[in-house]
Amino acid sequence: MNPLLRSAMIPMNTLCFQRNFAACSRALVPVQLPSRSETHLWYVVPDEVKSASLLGQYSKILSPCEKEYISCVRGERLKKTALLARVLVRTTIARYQTNGQVDPSSLKFRKNIHGKPELEWDENDHGSPPPIHFNISHTASLIACGVTVNSPIGIDLEEKDRKIKNNIVSFARRYFTAHEVEMLSSIPDPETQRQHFIKLWTLKEAYVKALGKGFSALPFSTFTIRSRNSSRNCQSRDLSDSSSSDAEIVVESVDGSSSLMNSWQFTLLELAGTHFAAICVESDGSIGGRVFTPRKVTARKTIPFVEDEFHPGTDAVVLGGL
Amino acid sequence: MAAVSATSVCFRALLKPAFKTNETSYLNVASLGMARNRFPALRTSRFRVSCAAKLETVNKVCEIVRKQLALPPETDLTPESKFSSLGADSLDTVEIVMGLEEEFGISVEEESSQNITTVQEAADLIEKLVQKKEA
Repeated sequence: MNPLLRSAMIPMNTLCFQRNFAACSRALVPVQLPSRSETHLWYVVPDEVKSASLLGQYSKILSPCEKEYISCVRGERLKKTALLARVLVRTTIARYQTNGQVDPSSLKFRKNIHGKPELEWDENDHGSPPPIHFNISHTASLIACGVTVNSPIGIDLEEKDRKIKNNIVSFARRYFTAHEVEMLSSIPDPETQRQHFIKLWTLKEAYVKALGKGFSALPFSTFTIRSRNSSRNCQSRDLSDSSSSDAEIVVESVDGSSSLMNSWQFTLLELAGTHFAAICVESDGSIGGRVFTPRKVTARKTIPFVEDEFHPGTDAVVLGGL
Repeated sequence: MAAVSATSVCFRALLKPAFKTNETSYLNVASLGMARNRFPALRTSRFRVSCAAKLETVNKVCEIVRKQLALPPETDLTPESKFSSLGADSLDTVEIVMGLEEEFGISVEEESSQNITTVQEAADLIEKLVQKKEA
């Protein structure tokens, strides 16, 4: 062994990690895991990632399977989005160094029976698995990864300006519930209606993704998502928080059996000024009673290995209610 | 008598398209008359009739997909094209399915939408549903 190496006592995995990314200005900035009542949201704006050599570095951390998938994607723009999505997941999880420094390329993933990606962890190699749950979503212009501890999570993004090709009420009649159709039909302004539709879609998607099921396994006509005004409780509410209304977003089963559904918490945000983002997290029930406590979301923009930005209050704005 | 004729009608209907399959066990079941007018094999996703759906159907599907995804004219779109590789997200896929339902007058159960990942799969399902409707 190289005597310099031995004397420096640098762990081998750290060296390998740094050698691969010598061209980048920084290594991944490590972060603490979110608390049990918090969600972290990391996002990348693909149009801001332009360096061909950086994209080349990114490809190196993918698994052979992931590289193969990307080779099947048509068009440079879509390939880049697919690449950045995988890189965002790997580098995000690697930041939470619960078992020492983690090389993002060493992470293994599998899919559940409905196709939801999960972390695959070998306890013999790496000790007990980190309690991390994650979910990813992307559009052509934004990629986001949500992270929680101990709570299944689903997220969905849509561009705020996204146009719906079909008639919105017809679409809702076909795929949503009667309550949601009624709500959408009651909105007179087409633009407001369209935005409401997008928000509702992202919330429903986030819910089925949190459940690990997806659209086919849990048809959208089987559950309603709506706002519910929670009762004012002056002692516990943060009255100085003027951005959130009293409305809580809730999910109910169409057949009326809603007893299990109180455990799902929703957050609806405007992200990076261009997107609606919905986050659905299973609450662990330690949030007592029926007092509505909005879940804290910490959003950070990143270009992995290059820079991270944190602009609280501007890049991720929580929208109170639907 | 009725049972025999029902069996033969169903059998014929399935032979109508160019019928290529390796599933010989299905044919044995039919010839024994056990299946009557119910062909369990039809319901299993394992049994896929790999006949070519009518070209007209495939072309209509392509047209709907192109419109939904706003594909530039130079984008190559073949029956094997995967929607996800063309940039379709889940909302695009559902909009495409809804467009197909309206175009062909069929109803696609949500559970089936996970099986519609390419133009060919969409066209095959459409043919199956149209035939079922006309039967």
